[in-house]
Amino acid sequence: MINNRKPLLEVKDLKTYFFTEDGVVKAVDGVDFEVYQGETLGIVGESACGKSVTAFSIMKLLDYPGKTVGGEVIFKGENLLEKTEDEMRRIRGKEIAMIFQEPMTALNPVLTVGFQISEALMIHFKISKEEAMKKSVELLKKVGIPIPEQRVNEYPHQLSGGMRQRAMIAMAMSCDPSLLIADEPTTALDVTIQAQILDLMRSLLKDFNGSLIMITHDLGVIAEIADRIAVMYAGKVVEHADKKTIFHNPLHPYTFGLLTSIPRLDLELKRLDTIPGIVPDPLHFPVGCKFNPRCRFATDRCKEEEPCLVKVEEGHLVRCWNIESVIKEVKKGLLVGV
Amino acid sequence: MNRTLKKLFSNAASLTGIILLVFFIIIAIFAPVIAPPFSDDPYQIPRMSWDVHPQPPGFPMSDNIREIYDYMGTEIKYDKAICGTAEGGYDIFYGLIWGTRTAFKIGIITVSLSMLIGILIGSISAYFGKWVDEILMRLTDIFLSFPFLVAAMVLTTVLGRGLDKVMIALIVFGWMGYARVIRGSILSAKEETYVMAAKALGVKDAKIIWKHLLPNTIFPVLIQGSMNIGSMVITAAALSFLGVGAPVGYADWGQMVSFARNWIIGAPGNAGQYWYTVFYPGIFIVLFVLAWNLIGDTLRDILDPRLRGEL
Repeated sequence: MINNRKPLLEVKDLKTYFFTEDGVVKAVDGVDFEVYQGETLGIVGESACGKSVTAFSIMKLLDYPGKTVGGEVIFKGENLLEKTEDEMRRIRGKEIAMIFQEPMTALNPVLTVGFQISEALMIHFKISKEEAMKKSVELLKKVGIPIPEQRVNEYPHQLSGGMRQRAMIAMAMSCDPSLLIADEPTTALDVTIQAQILDLMRSLLKDFNGSLIMITHDLGVIAEIADRIAVMYAGKVVEHADKKTIFHNPLHPYTFGLLTSIPRLDLELKRLDTIPGIVPDPLHFPVGCKFNPRCRFATDRCKEEEPCLVKVEEGHLVRCWNIESVIKEVKKGLLVGV
Repeated sequence: MNRTLKKLFSNAASLTGIILLVFFIIIAIFAPVIAPPFSDDPYQIPRMSWDVHPQPPGFPMSDNIREIYDYMGTEIKYDKAICGTAEGGYDIFYGLIWGTRTAFKIGIITVSLSMLIGILIGSISAYFGKWVDEILMRLTDIFLSFPFLVAAMVLTTVLGRGLDKVMIALIVFGWMGYARVIRGSILSAKEETYVMAAKALGVKDAKIIWKHLLPNTIFPVLIQGSMNIGSMVITAAALSFLGVGAPVGYADWGQMVSFARNWIIGAPGNAGQYWYTVFYPGIFIVLFVLAWNLIGDTLRDILDPRLRGEL
C-alpha cells in the first residue's frame, strides 16, 4: 500500500560514532528506515540503543565528540548530511521540528512561552513580533491550553508539566513542519497526561498531514500512535515492519522478547518474561549478531557473522539468522493473543 | 524583581550600601551646585593659595588668588576652603565633590566595558568550545598572568598621563575575571535541553547566546561587576597616587591622597597637624568602595541560584 509512494525521509546506513577518550562508541551503526508522507514511524528500543542519537543525527544537532561518519539522510530528495550549517538552520524548525523528552528543561526558564513559540515564526517567516505573538496565541489554543492570551506571557515555571509539553508541541508545530521528530515526548509525564498528549498529537497530525517519528521505549505508546515500527538494538534496526506485523508476527528474537515482557491483563502468567542479560557495553559490542549473548535462538553462526537486514515479505525486514526457528516458536503459540 | 528590591531594602548591610550610594549619586549630580566651578574645566581643582603647606579647614582664599580672579573677571563663588587645602593650595572640598563624578566615571565605564569584553570572549569561548575555547582561554591566561596593578601602571605610563589612559589600562587588564565566570556558567547552561530545542528550531548561534544563554548566566557576572566598581576606583586612585593617573590638579580622590603623601606624618611634635589632607579623600574612597561592596554582597545573596530556590 505504501510502496508506490515516495518516502519523505529515507535514512540509509546511518552511522554516528562518538569519539571518546576510551575509544569509539558506535552509538548508531547502520540504521535504515524510511518515513512516508502522513504516516507515523515508531522507533522502539531500550535505553542507550541509539534512538535519540538517530534523531539528532537526522537534524545534524550532534556536537563533538559525536560525529555522523557515514550513510545518507535523504529528506525531500536531498541529502541532509551534505548540507551546510546555514542550510540546515533553515530546515530546522521549518521542515523538520523536534519535541523533547523533558518539558521541564526543554523550555528556557527565563523566557516567556510566547517568546519561545514566536521565535521560530519570526526566524522562518520573517514576520513582526506582534504577528508572531498573535500566531502563538492561536497555536496555544490549538494545542488545548486554556486562556492562551494569558499563558502566552507566562514563564515555563508557571505551567504544569502537561501544559509545558503542550507548549513544546506548539513550538514544534509553529512553522508547519513536514516532519516532526518526537523524542520520548510522554516519558516524563504521568499516565493520564500521556494519553492526553498522545491524543493531541494524533489529532494535530491529522490536521497538518505531516509525518511523525515517534521515539520511545514504551510499546504501549507505539501501539497507540504508530503506523510502522522500527525496532532498534545496539545501534542497529533489527526489525522493521508495520504495526500489525510487529505486534502479531514478530520475527526477531529481540522484538519477540520485548513483546512477551509487557504485562498483560488477558493472559494468566505467573511470571513476566524478561530478556536475560543486559544491554551490551557500546565500547565492546559482541562479535557477530549483537544480540547473540541474550538470545535463546543463538547458534554458532550468530557468534561469528553479523546478519544483515533481509526482506522476509513486502515491508517486513528482519536482521536475524534464525528466522525459521522463531517462526516455529510463534506458531507454537507462545505469543497467543498478541 | 520586586522581591529583589524588597530584600535589598530590608537588609541592614545593603540598606547602608544603598544610602551611601544615594549620597554619592546626589553629590555627583549636584556637584555644580555644591561646589560651583571657577573655570571652564570643572574638573580642575581651584587653588586657594600658592602655599606649599596644606592649610587647615576654614582657610580663606588668599589675597593674591583673589586678585587674579578679579583681574580675569571671574566671579568668586565661595572663598573658604571648608575642608582645608592640600599641598599647593588646592581646595580639598572642591576636589571631593567633583572627584565623586570622576569616581563614578571610572567605576562604571571601566567595569561595563571590561564586562562587555569579558562576556563576549567568555561566551564565545564556552559556546563554540574546541579550538576557539582553547585559543581564547589561553589568551585570557596570558592576560591573567600579569600582576594587575603593575600591568595597568606600565600601560598607563606607555599611553601617557590622563584619566582616559588609566581607564583603558584598567579595561585591558580587567576583563579576564568576567570571561572566566561567564564561560563557566555557559559551559554548564549550554548542555541544557532548551539550548538543543532552540537549535532544533533553527535559531542562530549568536541569538542562542544572547537570548537564551546570557539571561540564564549573567547574574554572577553582574554581581562581580558591582563589587568590582569599588576596586576599580581604588586601583585608579592607586595609579593616581603613584603619579601615573590623573594630571596634576584634576579632581580625583587618588590624586588628592597623593597630594597628602608628604604630609601624612604631620609636623615634628604634631603628628596629626595635616590630618585633613589624607582623611577627607581617604574616607570618601573607603565609603564609595564600601557602598558598592555591600550592594554587590546583597545582590549575590539574593541572586545566588542556591538561595533562589525559594522563589
